[in-house]
Amino acid sequence: MIFGMHPVSFWIVVSIAAVLAITPLIFLVLEKAGKLTPALRADVWTRYKSWLALAPLMIVPLVAGRLPAVLGVGVLSALCYREFARATGLFRERLVSALVALGIVLVTFAIADNWLGFFDALMSLVVCAVVIFSLFSDQPKGYIQRVALGVLAFMFFGVSLGHFSFLANDRLGTPLQLSILVCVELNDIFAYCTGKAFGRRKLSPNTSPNKTIGGALGAAVLTTALFATLGHFIFKNTALDSAVHLVPLGLLLSLTGQWGDLVMSSIKRDLGIKDMAATIPGHGGLLDRFDSLIFVGPAMFHYLAYFGGLSLDLPARIFTGH
Amino acid sequence: MDEWKYQPAGDQGLEPTASFRSLKREAGLIASMTQAAWRVAVRAYLRGYHRLRVEGAEHIPAKPPFVMIANHSSHLDVLTLGAALPWQLRRHAFPIAAGDVFFETPAVSAFSAMMLNALPMWRKRCGSHAMQELRDRLIGDPAIYLLFPEGKRSRDGSMSPFKPGLGMMIAGAPVPVVPCWIDGAFHAFRPESKFPQPKPITLRIGPPLIFADVANERVGWQDIAARLEAAVTALRGK
Repeated sequence: MIFGMHPVSFWIVVSIAAVLAITPLIFLVLEKAGKLTPALRADVWTRYKSWLALAPLMIVPLVAGRLPAVLGVGVLSALCYREFARATGLFRERLVSALVALGIVLVTFAIADNWLGFFDALMSLVVCAVVIFSLFSDQPKGYIQRVALGVLAFMFFGVSLGHFSFLANDRLGTPLQLSILVCVELNDIFAYCTGKAFGRRKLSPNTSPNKTIGGALGAAVLTTALFATLGHFIFKNTALDSAVHLVPLGLLLSLTGQWGDLVMSSIKRDLGIKDMAATIPGHGGLLDRFDSLIFVGPAMFHYLAYFGGLSLDLPARIFTGH
Repeated sequence: MDEWKYQPAGDQGLEPTASFRSLKREAGLIASMTQAAWRVAVRAYLRGYHRLRVEGAEHIPAKPPFVMIANHSSHLDVLTLGAALPWQLRRHAFPIAAGDVFFETPAVSAFSAMMLNALPMWRKRCGSHAMQELRDRLIGDPAIYLLFPEGKRSRDGSMSPFKPGLGMMIAGAPVPVVPCWIDGAFHAFRPESKFPQPKPITLRIGPPLIFADVANERVGWQDIAARLEAAVTALRGK
């Protein structure tokens, strides 16, 4: 423990603070060297300022403890759902939209309560509620569309992000969540950089024309290496501290991260919009920033749970138990 | 099965303040709840503090689109018009408010959008494009507009001549316009007062007029303004 934090958490926080402190110096050096055009300069500063606000908003709840972490991810899920609902038009279906929002609140409660049984039950119960309550308006026209969008939204923002949130209930929750978040964000950057250096063949020209196979492979290699290294320190002295587990975990993280990005790109392209919203200056919507996190949660959670890497024996039903 | 019919929100991709000011703004879950809470509070306030009486409520059309117009001499006017609507119509109502007052700063814009559900009319730079956008929304949504054709709030309680701008929204369209007279609001909340006084307010609602056969051009707009002004004035004397 360093300052009451797991060493991995401590070093991640220190590294992020250091990067945020050094970045303006790099910008100033580049500016002096005349490498920044005025447009590029404005763009990088806007992005930097957004990160300056976003990084503490992401990290402080995760480091502050179990409950702030669960509530923090709950708020993120609700805001991402809001952007999704407004972009797809689902928000006009007030009943379905309210049920999905209620589902996200209940999922957050189940996680805060460390009640895995209720969390599991909600996956089917909320879907049933959306499908059944939509009957009562007696308007079969468009039924499949509104129900399908509602179920999809709940699966994305209630269930999938909920799995990421549930990791907070683990003994190693904080370092695990921080590592996943950092690796997912760096996964995007690795794909961008290696894609620029080695990318020739397009990965999916119709979905996301800037992505290359080289970038995808580069990100897979670098993210796997990074997560395996962090994982070695997190899972020290457990059965998971071996390349047999750490490499698949890292690969799973990189691939599900990239797929999350592509899923949201597909949805945006289908809708004919560039960004999901304009919440964060320079980045677009929150969902444009966190799209890669969506599928990482369930993949990591179930891999770790299957191989005994999650401490599911901790006190459960904190609020509802006896 | 239907074609896929869902579209992004009209104000999708706009930053918050731009979205509050957008004529295409659509209320989501949160705005719907804040607006509903606001309407309940305003209705209770008008009934309790100003003993609001509504005469001629049977003239209100059963469904949108329609426009409610009235004389304008107090900030209570728009609240009074909104409170007269039956509950199932209230969420379709948009007060058309002066942009330079109700949408000037981000905080005031947030209030106008999240509570009042108002849409801005920029008096100095209201081009035909904005009027067309308002007309499209009125008919296409379909919506209910609450507006004051005098174009400004009276400082002495008297009514000014109606401006022809309203005509651009409804000429040649089968949209009913409901004339109303608001009695007592001027004395209940005078322009120079800081707080409203507990004086009674009466809203008189007249039979709707339709201008589907009036040409959508300047002469038609002036004709509409004159006929509506006469209809509102006639309610005053009752």
